[in-house]
Amino acid sequence: MIKKILLVLALLTPISIFAQKASINGYVTDKSSRETLLSANVALLETNRGTTTNTLGYFSLTNLEPGTYTIACSYIGFELFRKTVTLSENETLRLDIELEPNVVATEEIVVTSERIIEAQKNIGTQDINTELITSLPKVFEADVFRSIQLLPGVKAASDFSSGLYVRGGSPDQTLILLDRNTVYNPSHFFGFFSTFNPDAIKDVRLYKGGYPAEYGGRLSSVLTIYNKDGNRNRTEGTATLGMLASRVSIEGPYKKGSWMFSARRSTLEPVLAALRSTSDNIPSSFYFLDYNGKVNFDATKNDKLSLAFYSGQDKVNFPFSDDAEFKLNYGNRTLSGNWTHIFNEKLFSNFVLTGSQYFNYPELELGGTPIERRNNIYDYSIKADLEYLPNEKHELAIGVWAGTLTIRLNDRFDNEPSFSSRSHSRYSSLYISDTWRPTEKWKIVSGLRSSYLSDGNYMRLEPRLSLEYKATDRIRLQTAYGRYNQYLTLITNEAFSGFDVWLTADDGVKPSFGDQYIIGAKTIPFEGFGFDVELYYRTMNDIFELDPFLQDVSGLDYPELFRIGNGDAYGAEFFFEKRAGNLTGFVGYTFAYTWKKFNDYNNGIDSPDGSGRRYPPKYDRRNDVNLVLSYKLSRKWKSTISFNYATGQAYTEVLGQYSANNTPWANDQLNTFTVGKINASRLPPYHRMDISFSRLGTFFGLGNAEWQFQIINVYSRRNVWFYNFDFDENPVERTEVPLLPLLPTISYTVNF
Amino acid sequence: MRSLLITLTLFSIIFISCDLYPQDDYKEYYVVESYLIAQDPLAPIYLSTTAPATSAYSFEDYAVSGANVRVHLLSDDGDSNIVQTFAYQLDSAGVYSSAFQHTVLPSRTYQLQITDLPNDPTASIIGYTTVPDTFSNVSEVPDTVIYQSENQIEIDITPSLNTQRQSYFIFTTIALNPSKENFTPLYSDFFDDQEDEVGDFVKTSSGIVNEANFETKPNGIVTLKYPWLAVAFYGDNQIVANIIDDNIYDFLRSQSVQLGGSTLSPGEIPNVLYRLDGGIGVFGSLAADTIQTYIERPSSIDFNQ
Repeated sequence: MIKKILLVLALLTPISIFAQKASINGYVTDKSSRETLLSANVALLETNRGTTTNTLGYFSLTNLEPGTYTIACSYIGFELFRKTVTLSENETLRLDIELEPNVVATEEIVVTSERIIEAQKNIGTQDINTELITSLPKVFEADVFRSIQLLPGVKAASDFSSGLYVRGGSPDQTLILLDRNTVYNPSHFFGFFSTFNPDAIKDVRLYKGGYPAEYGGRLSSVLTIYNKDGNRNRTEGTATLGMLASRVSIEGPYKKGSWMFSARRSTLEPVLAALRSTSDNIPSSFYFLDYNGKVNFDATKNDKLSLAFYSGQDKVNFPFSDDAEFKLNYGNRTLSGNWTHIFNEKLFSNFVLTGSQYFNYPELELGGTPIERRNNIYDYSIKADLEYLPNEKHELAIGVWAGTLTIRLNDRFDNEPSFSSRSHSRYSSLYISDTWRPTEKWKIVSGLRSSYLSDGNYMRLEPRLSLEYKATDRIRLQTAYGRYNQYLTLITNEAFSGFDVWLTADDGVKPSFGDQYIIGAKTIPFEGFGFDVELYYRTMNDIFELDPFLQDVSGLDYPELFRIGNGDAYGAEFFFEKRAGNLTGFVGYTFAYTWKKFNDYNNGIDSPDGSGRRYPPKYDRRNDVNLVLSYKLSRKWKSTISFNYATGQAYTEVLGQYSANNTPWANDQLNTFTVGKINASRLPPYHRMDISFSRLGTFFGLGNAEWQFQIINVYSRRNVWFYNFDFDENPVERTEVPLLPLLPTISYTVNF
Repeated sequence: MRSLLITLTLFSIIFISCDLYPQDDYKEYYVVESYLIAQDPLAPIYLSTTAPATSAYSFEDYAVSGANVRVHLLSDDGDSNIVQTFAYQLDSAGVYSSAFQHTVLPSRTYQLQITDLPNDPTASIIGYTTVPDTFSNVSEVPDTVIYQSENQIEIDITPSLNTQRQSYFIFTTIALNPSKENFTPLYSDFFDDQEDEVGDFVKTSSGIVNEANFETKPNGIVTLKYPWLAVAFYGDNQIVANIIDDNIYDFLRSQSVQLGGSTLSPGEIPNVLYRLDGGIGVFGSLAADTIQTYIERPSSIDFNQ
């Protein structure tokens, strides 16, 4: 297959050769570390030709008239690069650009760069500044996902969950790729934190919707995370001591490339030991740890290889009674080998081998009765992506992704197997897309993706289309449509992600599919500011979720495990950003609706069977405002404030009650509620302000250091998570289960 | 740009001002509770109404008396004709008992019919239950077993043949010598002197357990290994295996979801699945078999010390 693709592309090549045009290509890197920069803007100022670097930091401008040009390159946080180059006929100039970091981020430098080269923000796409992740006020530990939750269109289930609910999609509708490798459970501490160590990351990008044909497999969105390659100039590191966890990261060069290693571990043991001396029911062991590593091998000018790994684990041992103990051990491991090869200035390729494993081993020993689960996912795949530039108007991309997915789930009760399932499926996908710029004002990206799953023998086609019209230098209008399929579903609980289980579509359980329609505008209202608007509508069809009414799944046919439903989501997002200067930040507002509907669910009490009424899931919020401001108080001091106001989440108001008191098999009273429509009421509005102060200094002259002082929930708002009911009281007492209280934290980071 | 903003603002205001999903008001429902047990006399029928969630609740306060309550035995030829009718009479507020002596027949369908409801004479409540087939233990249960020893209690039960599906079990342990001193270690630790009474633990039951959890022999005999978890007291214990009908199955599996523990988000509360027309609650049936054994305190472990 690859050979055929290359042959086709090779046949197209002569068209441009005869034209005797010139070209420029190369990588864009950070001069201080030679770390590649993704989505950096590159332009020839004398023409209207420009491009952005791809996910490997590579750019190529082809079919240029011979002559002298000024090539410019910009990237937020870096000084503008300019260089005069002269191109002769048929010349292919390899120009690797190194950008100088903006040590003092003056207003003037950044604004100048923005005016000349407009950032190429695609519809539905949001880059997350990795510096923002560490500078935001943090709940104990800097967290990638909690930073993403501040963006418009992204919601959090609660203060205790780092799960991403993107444009009405549940967390399993977001594909999470770490160095192009699928991560199945991206959480520590049962969902409180995401697994990604902020010190190891160089790029985080969220495709909130309308994502390109390159990606697939999820109904809602894609989150790509790239680990750092490692500093190619010098060995350096950073160490952070926090109240909950500490982390260390070190990176450096070697003769043919670079390497990076980072580790993070929770440091709760002293706290647990102190608690154990005064109270019962404290875990005897409770920790998480993770490792990230990457080795890069620059084989030739046109060949780069890398090997990246991630390993994370959470482990808890909790003897909660004299004769009862709960143990949980879960985590992820990923390994990806990447080969980037530049065939010529028109053809760029990337090949990846990936392996991703997820394991989840909960054990409960209760009164001499062991209850155990062994849940594993093994996902091994190969990917190939080619980018081809036949002329200045087209950028072709084509790729394949194929692999095997094994999901094993074995339950044992009282030392006997109670449920056993093993699915071994093959999956594959093929995509082709073309970015066409017919005029300077128009950009049309069309694509088609096909995907296949051997379980159930499902094959699906997914057309994608996006249009962009540059109305003025400061306004770009965008629209997109896409069809998306999802072959997996996640069995989880919003309050606790430690038992996550993934299941696939199969015979009798069709894959989910949905359409997304987006329209938006990216504007620059003033120098140094950005204002983006997007309206979206998306559907979710044939969603399959574990039937919540099943108490025991033993002996059931596979389709009987699920309830099948539909949903839709629509809304408007506004994002106003100040990108440069001493005061930076953004305000995001989302107005959104999310609806779901399942057969035999949320019907009237008199008629439990039927197609079901649609209802908003708990995470649906009508209005959601996020404000993030960072201010440099002085050369040493910096403060960051984040504030969130959101409509209260949906919940079900209980209306009536009765009790079944006469069951022959138990003493218990079965206290029972009657309700109306599910989730038709709203919790009180949610709002919270967090603030952090950081102070730069030195660590005994050995390196830079930073203290961070943070207060979460500054004014101690008692936000409500949900209501609990106490049946020991009559009338039944409804109590509020609160979210995070006021929480001061401190951390100390040393760079060496 | 300005016009775009104005349009979007108007669009938002229109949406905000419309409540697309209004909350319902409280509505009162008649509540039925009755469990027919195969080979037992007809069980009483409890009739009441729901109470507002904010009010104090007791069955007596919301009991419904004065209704016309009848249970019909239907033919087993598939035509559902009424073979026999059993009129019920009011025993106490909201509690109705059959005026006739009748032993509930396994594998047969009974119809509940309640009419002349006091607040709405035109209303009626109709329900059906098909009684699970009886079964019995065919194994030799030892007189005494040592708690948490390797020799677990094993029960071999004959198949219950009347369903098109696997059987759904509920297991109940009834302690015959309940006392604080007789608690097994787990329950001793769970017991709270301030809030609990020993009697609360006399009858403990499992949730719904599917038949597929157990080994089925070629002759259809199902072998159950009884978990130590279910034993709350040392001493004499009765172990009851119950096979439940669809109505109890739906009622229990959905009632347990109301207070959490499923994959639903906290605060998302569905109604219980009811199989009654004109009312809510449960009119169900079950078949049961009981064994008895003595659970001996082990000499090697004693978590009470």
